[in-house]
Amino acid sequence: MIEVEQLSKHYADLRRGRLVALDAIRFLARPGEIFGLLGPNGAGKTTALRILSTVLRPTSGRAAVAGFDVVTQSSQVRRRIGFVSANTAVYDRMTAWEMVEYFGRLHGIAPRPLAARMEELFARLQMNDFRDLLGAKMSTGMKQKVSVARAMVHDPPVLIFDEATSGLDVLVARALLQTVAELREMGKCLVFSTHIMREAEKLCDRLAIIHRGRILAEGTLDQLRNTYGEPDLEELFFQLIHHHDAQEALDRPAPTGRGLRPTTAAGATAPGR
Amino acid sequence: MNPGNVKLILAREVRDQLRDRRTLFMIAVLPILLYPLLGMSFLQIAQFMQERPTTVLVVGAPELDDLPPLFGNERFDPALFAAAEGSELLHLSFEPAGGDGDGGQAAAKARARRAVRTREYDAALVFPADFAERLGRFREEVRRRAPPPAEGEAIAGAAEETGAAADSPAVPSPEIVYSTASERSGLTAHRLGEVLRRWTEKVGEANLSAGGFPAAAARPFVVQQADVAEEAGRQGLVVWAKILPILLLLWALTGAFYPAVDLCAGEKERGTLETLLSSPAERSEIVVGKLLTIMLFSMATAALNLLSMGVTGWMVFPHLPNLGPPPLLAVAWLSLSLLPVAALFSALCLALAAFARSSKEGQYYLMPLLLVTMPLVILPMTPSVELNAGNAIIPVTGVVLLLRSLLEADYVTAFTHAPLVIAVTLGGCVLAVRWAVDQFNQESVLFRESERLDVGLWLRHLVRDRGPTPTVAAAAACGVAILVVRFFMSFALPPPENAAQTVNLVLVTQFVVILTPALLFTVMLTSDRLETLLLKPPRSVEGTAAVLLGTGAAALLAIALHPSVNLLQWVVLWLYPLSEEAAASLQSLLVGDVPLWQLFVAIALVTPICEELAFRGFILSGFRHMGYKWRAIILSAIFFGAAHAILQQSLIAALVGVVIGYLAVQTGNLLPCIAFHVVHNGLAILSTRLSSEAVAEWPLLEALYVPLADGEGHVFRLPVVVVSMLLSAAILYGFSRLRWHMTEEERLQRAIARGLAAP
Repeated sequence: MIEVEQLSKHYADLRRGRLVALDAIRFLARPGEIFGLLGPNGAGKTTALRILSTVLRPTSGRAAVAGFDVVTQSSQVRRRIGFVSANTAVYDRMTAWEMVEYFGRLHGIAPRPLAARMEELFARLQMNDFRDLLGAKMSTGMKQKVSVARAMVHDPPVLIFDEATSGLDVLVARALLQTVAELREMGKCLVFSTHIMREAEKLCDRLAIIHRGRILAEGTLDQLRNTYGEPDLEELFFQLIHHHDAQEALDRPAPTGRGLRPTTAAGATAPGR
Repeated sequence: MNPGNVKLILAREVRDQLRDRRTLFMIAVLPILLYPLLGMSFLQIAQFMQERPTTVLVVGAPELDDLPPLFGNERFDPALFAAAEGSELLHLSFEPAGGDGDGGQAAAKARARRAVRTREYDAALVFPADFAERLGRFREEVRRRAPPPAEGEAIAGAAEETGAAADSPAVPSPEIVYSTASERSGLTAHRLGEVLRRWTEKVGEANLSAGGFPAAAARPFVVQQADVAEEAGRQGLVVWAKILPILLLLWALTGAFYPAVDLCAGEKERGTLETLLSSPAERSEIVVGKLLTIMLFSMATAALNLLSMGVTGWMVFPHLPNLGPPPLLAVAWLSLSLLPVAALFSALCLALAAFARSSKEGQYYLMPLLLVTMPLVILPMTPSVELNAGNAIIPVTGVVLLLRSLLEADYVTAFTHAPLVIAVTLGGCVLAVRWAVDQFNQESVLFRESERLDVGLWLRHLVRDRGPTPTVAAAAACGVAILVVRFFMSFALPPPENAAQTVNLVLVTQFVVILTPALLFTVMLTSDRLETLLLKPPRSVEGTAAVLLGTGAAALLAIALHPSVNLLQWVVLWLYPLSEEAAASLQSLLVGDVPLWQLFVAIALVTPICEELAFRGFILSGFRHMGYKWRAIILSAIFFGAAHAILQQSLIAALVGVVIGYLAVQTGNLLPCIAFHVVHNGLAILSTRLSSEAVAEWPLLEALYVPLADGEGHVFRLPVVVVSMLLSAAILYGFSRLRWHMTEEERLQRAIARGLAAP
């Protein structure tokens, strides 16, 4: 459903010259599963997902959503995704109902089916209490619900959640995770980026650990645990990142040094292998 | 573009703006309140501003017998004022004259001057000590010499004698002392002057009647003035024609600016832009939806302001003479012109606001925008500036002048130039909209992060991270640098006086203005200089052959195109005749005493090489990174045209620049461009050197040319032009079949265009 191949993104940076935000990453996310992107802040998660949502263009490489290229067929892609990110805010001067309706209409849904769909969504996400409240007056939790409803209104086959639980209290976060899990049951393809281990552990069918624009390891939770012989995800994560940083420090004298492939790198640190 | 989405976005944005109290206040409440308040304060101030009395020191007031009275009751005589209460406005203080003799007189004058300088009095009126006496004596003399009215000869004699007396004024002059440093003083002096003028007239009349002449002899006739403006309201029309367009433009700009900032920068700031960008709406739909919203508010602001001003004016202006309310027709023209003006300003504001990172940054751009727009709005205020072909192509100025012509009911001028003004305005709109769409397509603009401004770091970044060929910004900067250097050079160098100096000037200009910036930019900002300047030698024998073939074809194209260009030149000069100054400078260059070979070296060899390196080399290579080959060609051609000094030359150069730009893209090599340019310029020199005698003498030339009816020069025969066009089209078709090299951006845009075309 989502295919990412050799995707790179470079930025021009005054101080450092070319800044590599994504370095030839590749992954695959399938329908009916939640694919997790786990990485610290600044790892490149948001850049990757922005490219998938067609807001950014990759410097090189290819990404396709539901078979459509994110660069050349961007509008086809946007019609098939729901994108929720910390950067996709809710309009201050629109009510919850108006906001979701607006995006439903932009997706080309006729008014009557749209109203029915929205009634169902508002009931499912328990949003009827604040359907006529302006965005400016909503709590963070309410806003996040509106964003989720906005992303789901056209019933897209692919949903992308970028750090969607950040800033939410435990109750709201739990409800959101539940919604995500339900979406998986409906056969949707989900990409979920986070820096919170618990969420990744609980939710994701498959995981990619991303750091400094590179994917260090990828697989199901069990595969990762077995490969690296480390039952605790948090420990595993720290070791991978620590090793990568150490390796990069070693490579630094050679400016074009590419570092080691993730598997070799991980193999070197994995105790008991 | 999906009109449904545009409508949705428009509806949402309008509702959003209407829910914003600040916008509503700026657009609706402010104008409704502002003008009545202004009108009220105007009336209030008018009461304060009523003519206030000023003080005058009168030194040596003359005591006059049986002459028309000047003073009475410590005031000037009320009969000396247009309105009797005028005498109340001059408060007089009297001082005796300084006594007889020059010394006393000088002391009195000095005293008066000091009094005015220290602002003790607003002005002073100093009479010479013997003024009354001498005036009396003069009068006596006139009376004594007066002949009996019946004898004509005697009258003539008397006139001669009095005429002789008038040569050396018999009466010393009174002096008004005032200071232009004070407005009150100036006003007082003006009032005093009027009083004395009337009094002098009266004294003259009295003298005449004393001499037995009728008083009317001094003023045998009165000049009457007739105003042909048809109605009373028309008198105010000139004032309205100047004020209304400017107010309209200013309000249209203000009305566009604030919503634009809120719709773009504000949305970026609030984080909702990314929400919208990840929706199915295309960027162009978003831009057009937002643009229409901004236009709506711009027009509403202008209309509401004019309406509110009109209503207030309707109530206030009856108090002002000569200025009726603006006529209805004027209002209709204003409303009609509001649409293109609002479109232009809205698109400009949108593009600027899209660039801003936050509302605050957006607000900063208002001032530069005003600074750029204001001169364009103010220029038409200058009395001598009128609507003509030259002014019509200046973006905002053209609209203001057109409006003025319409308001002044000068329909012939207005409708002659209206198409040009409308074309320029629409062209401006299209460009501004394209710019705005571009802004929305640029990640660096949409996701700009604040970075500390560090010029040194930035310059180092430019050089360190330079690509093989220049960026779009570098190309634009080079173009602008050339224009700026050219502007300053035109002041620094003296205008040439003869052809030899002109040749020198051309060489210096080419090396300093065109070549140096282009080479400097190339060396500093690109890593593959040969590639940038399209000078990469071909890698294979076939490649070399292709370049040589292309060069030959380009030279042939220049020959084939020559008659068509000539015709074009003729049309341009017919539309926009050369100013005498420009014609003279061109003439001095071409018909001077310079050997032909020098002219060829300067104009047909050095100029083409320098210009091609700059415009088709650096600048076009940079613009190619925009991703659209035609846009790059046209932009580089516009810079090429602008680098020419004379407007008529610029127009033709820009068109020729498009052809050369096309050659550059299709062949990927500068040689064909230089070849075309060399032949083109060479033929231009030859054709100006072609005399009518030569045409008549040589049969071949006679077959090509036909002499003009007025005997001044000759043009190509029509069949020659037709053949020229066909041949050029054929050669250009040949170039279009070449496999040209695409830049990465052009490949990407083509892929996107194909992706969009796919279902």
